[in-house]
Amino acid sequence: MNCQIDKLRVAILGSGNIGTDLLVKIMRSPYLVCTLFSGRNLGSPGIAKAMSLGVPVSDQSVAALERDCHKFDLVFDATSAVDHQRHAPIFKQLGKRIIDMTPSQIGEMCIPAVNLQGCVSCDNVNMVTCGGQASVPLAYCLAQVHPDADYIEVISSISARSAGPATRRNLDEYIETTEKAISQFSGCKRSKAILNLNPAIPCINMQTTLLAKVKEPDLARIRTAVEDTVSKIQKYVPGYQLIVPPTIEGERLVIMVKVQGQGDYLPSYAGNLDIINCAAIAIAEEYSKRIQQKRVRRHDPGGD
Amino acid sequence: MTRVVISDPTLRDGSHAIRHQLTTAQISSYCAAAEESGMPIVEVGHGNGIGASSLQLGESLLSDREMLQTARGKLLNSKLGIHIIPGFATIKRDLSMAIDCGVDVIRVGCHATEADITCRHISYARQRGREVYGVLMMSHMAAPDKLLEESRKMESYGAEAVILMDSAGAFLPNDVKQRISLLNEGLGISVGFHAHNNLGLAIANSIAAVESGASIIDGTARGFGAGAGNAQLEVLVAVFEKLNYSTGIDLYKVMDAAEYAEKEILEVIPFVKSTSIVSGLAGVFSGFAIHVNRVASQYGVDPRDIFFELGRRKVVAGQEDLIIEVATELAGEKDKG
Amino acid sequence: MNANLLEMIHRDCHEVTAASLPTLAPLKGECLLITGGTGFMGTWLAELIAFLNDTYNFNSKILLLSDRAYSFSAKAPHLAVRKDISLIDRDICSIVGIPSEVSLIIHAAATPDSRLHASEPLRVAQVITNGTASLLASASRLPRLKRFLNISSGLIYGPQPLDLERIEESFCGGPNCSSPSSTYAEAKRYAELLCSIYRNEYKMEIITARPFAFIGPYQLLDRPWAINNFIRDGLTGGPIRILGDRETLRSYMYPSDMAFWLLAMLLHGVPGFSYNLGNPNGVTLGQIAEKVANCCPVRPEISANLAENAKIHRSSLVPDVSLAQKTLGLKLLVDTDEAVRRTMLWNRAQVSNC
Repeated sequence: MNCQIDKLRVAILGSGNIGTDLLVKIMRSPYLVCTLFSGRNLGSPGIAKAMSLGVPVSDQSVAALERDCHKFDLVFDATSAVDHQRHAPIFKQLGKRIIDMTPSQIGEMCIPAVNLQGCVSCDNVNMVTCGGQASVPLAYCLAQVHPDADYIEVISSISARSAGPATRRNLDEYIETTEKAISQFSGCKRSKAILNLNPAIPCINMQTTLLAKVKEPDLARIRTAVEDTVSKIQKYVPGYQLIVPPTIEGERLVIMVKVQGQGDYLPSYAGNLDIINCAAIAIAEEYSKRIQQKRVRRHDPGGD
Repeated sequence: MTRVVISDPTLRDGSHAIRHQLTTAQISSYCAAAEESGMPIVEVGHGNGIGASSLQLGESLLSDREMLQTARGKLLNSKLGIHIIPGFATIKRDLSMAIDCGVDVIRVGCHATEADITCRHISYARQRGREVYGVLMMSHMAAPDKLLEESRKMESYGAEAVILMDSAGAFLPNDVKQRISLLNEGLGISVGFHAHNNLGLAIANSIAAVESGASIIDGTARGFGAGAGNAQLEVLVAVFEKLNYSTGIDLYKVMDAAEYAEKEILEVIPFVKSTSIVSGLAGVFSGFAIHVNRVASQYGVDPRDIFFELGRRKVVAGQEDLIIEVATELAGEKDKG
Repeated sequence: MNANLLEMIHRDCHEVTAASLPTLAPLKGECLLITGGTGFMGTWLAELIAFLNDTYNFNSKILLLSDRAYSFSAKAPHLAVRKDISLIDRDICSIVGIPSEVSLIIHAAATPDSRLHASEPLRVAQVITNGTASLLASASRLPRLKRFLNISSGLIYGPQPLDLERIEESFCGGPNCSSPSSTYAEAKRYAELLCSIYRNEYKMEIITARPFAFIGPYQLLDRPWAINNFIRDGLTGGPIRILGDRETLRSYMYPSDMAFWLLAMLLHGVPGFSYNLGNPNGVTLGQIAEKVANCCPVRPEISANLAENAKIHRSSLVPDVSLAQKTLGLKLLVDTDEAVRRTMLWNRAQVSNC
């Protein structure tokens, strides 16, 4: 029986930092292969990087993907929320799976540590925000132990250097998308997200704090749940670290995590970029594994 | 006579000192008194601006809307102002609501090196026809030339003035002179200054600012504010009048407003404590004082050590969560030692 | 877009071509590429040429190149559907070829929004420098290219001396080349240099236009320029607030004049020459505020800056356009008062359109 793994063919749309970092991660993945890296500008550093890695490139943006749609099965959209609005229907028509890296809020929100399996059957998954990826699993844990927690607050600090013009222009969208994700996954009635840019040198890693008011918190259970979740997350985000375990501080519950990036394309302080990309790779790899399983079952219907 | 515009954030910056627990009665009465005194601008809201009420920064007693509506009802000739920090507050949820409540002056603040995050909020407020100023917070943390570059960004977005905030009370008068002069020369818009009193220099710094060309100065009643407090409003009015600047404010009536504030709002009249000096020297945001003291006693560490460590890490406003991390580390070292 | 707004544009185009049609005759049957084609200049050029095609059978073709091509059908639906107008969705920095039928080019791709100059100077610089380089490289291989008009900027002169009433093309000033606030101006200076290199080495017929300021339909009011603020204040009932020095001097050209002058410079300008493009009649901010107030149905109050005695910077930015006027026979048909009046009318009609 031929058990060779066929890698899932993916295209990346958007040659900026997110797209290029995704590319470097995909090159390492045993489950994915990038067959097309498409942007708008041949002069962009991302395109140059892709070419140096031997990956086919284009400056025709989405038109290249339409034209070469037989070359990939899944696309990472790393453009912008506005652009994704136009791209989503195109890929839907072509029958391609989408992983949306923008805060467009179109597809199903995907937080791998929480709903990976649920997302595998979705055509368009949205990777929320960096703060969302870091904090939603923790909010989810809390809600499992205390479903009555009705307010959850998340504060993220990222290095000013890791926040490019797109991030700075879209702080409001970041806040709105993160709050929506917290509420949706935890079921809490109210959520609040805060983002700080810290200009300190040396650059800080991403740091996220979750605060909640809980009546009679069952600290032991929360801690266990959080430890489990952190281990889960570390499988796809190696740089994710719990730095203040669930603690009661006055009337508030505090949990703090830190994310150091792997330094694939941007320096390692850009943990915020890394976590959302790692999460995207996690769901893409899950698709790939699912397809592999189906193939194996087809080859060997007797087995399982 | 040159005019100086005094802006009064007693009901905003002062809020830090009472954990943002301002009541409707306090806002109402103080605004009436400020209006009576001819105060040009009265700033109201959570210490970190509208949209900042949170577990991280302290939950305010009243909602932003309640505070603004109360104030608006009492201010006729005085303008109603707000402070707003992108990253804490959004246009949809917070800024548009505030403008709908009748706010006249919007001051959009950011860390002194990150002015580009203020573009959308400044643009929105200008489009709604309001007066908009940019505020550079923690301005001791950037070189003067950098402050000018960041101010220019705010100017290009439509800010009508740039206010330098000495959020840590770290400046000496010459520091202020140098920065305000540079901004005044390099910008086509007005320049303002917001002092803190950690090193006992709030009034002197405010004078240095005006003498270098600043035309907007912040002050609070009895210096009401976190830690060592702000430039004392009544003193500012008196001193500027004596220096032959016109403020348009009635001295007796602003003193009356301060009497009211002392009796009915302040728990303690601000003074320079040990932690004030330390945070001023360390260059740490004054608003951290209350959190640092609380966490220090909880973890059994010296608050002064926390301040110096926070200063070393160059923490900025909004990073109150780091206080716990630092306290945890210091407590851990103490146990080992 | 409603009929009222279309009628206004139509009248403007008619007015500007009525007496000077022969000037534009060389445009007949030609194919014009406009980069930054969906912007303010591109849209007006498209309106004017569409008018010429419809009214005088010019039979010209327009290609609008933009990285925001998809937004054109929302902005000017009546133009987007026309057969004589095509959109090319492309990043200006990434031009690898131009349709061989193109015989005329107007290079207007840039980012004139000063907020972007402050927040993203690198991108602003690259769009101008890499964009111009990329375009010229492809343009130099066109078999039928007759003329190329480079849109530069009145800012390349650096600050205008206060005692100089108008800046002439020969003025030799310049911005501070090491300051990021000079990004737009310095990048435009480099672009002008690159154009003259291509003219020199590749014998291309390249003319430069140096635009100043404009006010009129299709101009977005969200740019924080004084006149936009006055108009916005006026439309919402005022008061009209003047911030900064009342005596600061500016001038504003109406876009139908602008579009006509651009075509005239393209078709008749002398290669290697630069022409200022704008209104030579300066007005102070105070005067502009008055003009806007006069155009409001109920005249609003005009108020001055809160802090009057702060050190305020007076500045001037007014072009001398006698070169264009004398050598190309160009005239300014819409004066400042009329420009303001029409702009207010347009914006009021837009508001009621929603």
